[in-house]
Amino acid sequence: MEQQVATPPHALPPADVSAGRRGSRLSGLTQYAGFIPALLLYGLFFLAPFGLIVAYSFWQTIDYEVVHKWTVDNYRYFFSVPTYVRTMWATLWVSLAATAITLLMAFPLAYWLVRYVRKSLQGFFLVLVVVPFWTSYLLRVYAWLNILGEGGAINRFLQWTGVTEHPVSFFLYDRPAVILVLVYLYFPFAALTLYASLQKFDWNQYKAALDLGAPPRMALLRIVLPQMKAGMVTAVIFVFIPILGEYLTPQLVGGAKGVMIGNLVVNFFSGAQYTRGAAVSLLIAGLIVFLLLIVRKSLEVEDPYRA
Amino acid sequence: MSVTEGRLTRADLLKLGGAGALGLTLAGPAFGRPISQEATTMTMLTWSDHYANNQLAAVAKATGLRGRPTLFSDNADAYLKIKQTGSQFDVVSADGLWVPKYVKSGLTEPFDLSDLPVSKQLFSLARQFSFWKSGSNYMAYPFSWSTVQIYYNPKYVKTKPDSWHAILDRKYAGKISLENIPTDVMAIAGRATGAKKPYAMTSAQLSRAKQWLKELKPNVLKLASQNNEVVRALADESAWIGITNLGTDDRVKDARGPVVKAAYPKEGTIGFIDSESIVKRSKHKDVWMKYINALEQAPWIAKNFITNGRPLFNEKAYKLLVNQGHGARARRLLYNKPELALKMTIKGPAGNQQAYIDAFNEVFGA
Repeated sequence: MEQQVATPPHALPPADVSAGRRGSRLSGLTQYAGFIPALLLYGLFFLAPFGLIVAYSFWQTIDYEVVHKWTVDNYRYFFSVPTYVRTMWATLWVSLAATAITLLMAFPLAYWLVRYVRKSLQGFFLVLVVVPFWTSYLLRVYAWLNILGEGGAINRFLQWTGVTEHPVSFFLYDRPAVILVLVYLYFPFAALTLYASLQKFDWNQYKAALDLGAPPRMALLRIVLPQMKAGMVTAVIFVFIPILGEYLTPQLVGGAKGVMIGNLVVNFFSGAQYTRGAAVSLLIAGLIVFLLLIVRKSLEVEDPYRA
Repeated sequence: MSVTEGRLTRADLLKLGGAGALGLTLAGPAFGRPISQEATTMTMLTWSDHYANNQLAAVAKATGLRGRPTLFSDNADAYLKIKQTGSQFDVVSADGLWVPKYVKSGLTEPFDLSDLPVSKQLFSLARQFSFWKSGSNYMAYPFSWSTVQIYYNPKYVKTKPDSWHAILDRKYAGKISLENIPTDVMAIAGRATGAKKPYAMTSAQLSRAKQWLKELKPNVLKLASQNNEVVRALADESAWIGITNLGTDDRVKDARGPVVKAAYPKEGTIGFIDSESIVKRSKHKDVWMKYINALEQAPWIAKNFITNGRPLFNEKAYKLLVNQGHGARARRLLYNKPELALKMTIKGPAGNQQAYIDAFNEVFGA
């Protein structure tokens, strides 16, 4: 006797099962629908131009014409001329110095805001931090010409106080001026990131460390800072990476001594040497990716209790 | 539309909103079009000293042709822009020997200069530049010119630097400012080291020019992205020497700076003769003449001289300036001597642009 298998009341007939599968596939696809605008944006305005830059970097420019003849000459040229490698190193250390100073200045501010300023007032101070963004980047850099220049505020003050008789020229048109202005420009990025990170910190842990006899400095170093690693790495990324590609600040306040690799890339492009410019740009991008891979591990926050 | 108990559902509201937006988009051009949009827009790839905003507004009012300028700094940059997006532009400005390069590449087209009534206002010499002739046609409408010379502050520079080699003196360390235009800076270095054709240097000449630039580098305060930065450096006395265009002395004075004087290097110098051309792929070639004719009228050119202080080729404007009491300044800035424009090395494309840029970067990199 054939055994009758009872169909459970909630099961669908076969046709409906396939419709259900289609439906679940569809719902699987629709959950990615929100990704489409970003995909289009990145595909059209990042990946496609990036592919083009890669291709350009392997082509040649002859008599203002980009010739589609594959070659590694642009890369070979970069590594065969010591000036470029030197300029890349100089760019790297200027970026590192500016990033380190920015973070060293932003951390105390963020710490002070979170620990000692009333919640209702914190927003006000944060607005003050971002106020410079209300003016254009170019204006902010030009303002420094008026501060650091021979007829600028610092020199006037020094002359007024009698410290110097004549204007002093070393504040401007050299690497220190570039670093100073870069710190000023990128300070808000670091301050906001560190503030967000510190705000989430559970201060009971810090208090517990103090209760258990740790001096405040040690509690800060052993309890607070390790848990801020992700925030600090994010701040480094926000500050260091854009600085690596900077060209306007060194152009305006760096003078002939403050040149960064971005300035040489601009010369290639304004001189219609797109293929050379593309190769150097990609090398900068390659360096950034390499550095990001190094710091990627640091984004994984350690558990302070080793739980 | 489904109406439930007299209320709109959210879906209905979205549909209505979408339909409304579509309707407004479609109806907008028909009903909301301002009168000025009736005007033809003439897109210009040019320098900022080729026009004034009130001039463009007046021309638009008089002709219905509204000028929309896009700026560029280097001729090479403009050349590639026209090459890649030519149909987006109607007028392109170019220097000296770049003009034949545009024509040869099929990017601009020559025209009969006599078809432009305003051309009668030009110095006759400006209508006969051999390098701009193309059969009976002319390649471009001549606009202005300037030599690039040494401007120095006599308070600090006691001996007039009448040679390019004079500025290599270490007493000027960090005191020279010049514009960051690699091809032209290399051409100046070529002039300094005796190259007969500074825009077509051989490898050996380029090597000598590069060596000269290396010697100059410690004296360079900054490579300015714009001419106004050179003026500023001279005005605040952070630079004692500027390598720049005619009229810098006036601009420094206007910036409340010190007296600066011009010196012409005995090895010769480079300079520009600039112009306006018809972009071959322009969609408004039919009105190009009308537009340029209105734009280049003597009263505007006279005003341009007062603002920018370098000689132009419009002779009628020179006469206006004399009548307005600006004659002395115009003569001091050589407005009445257009023949001098032909004595300098005229700017043009480099024979081997890549070698020029490479050499420049190799000197001015870190």
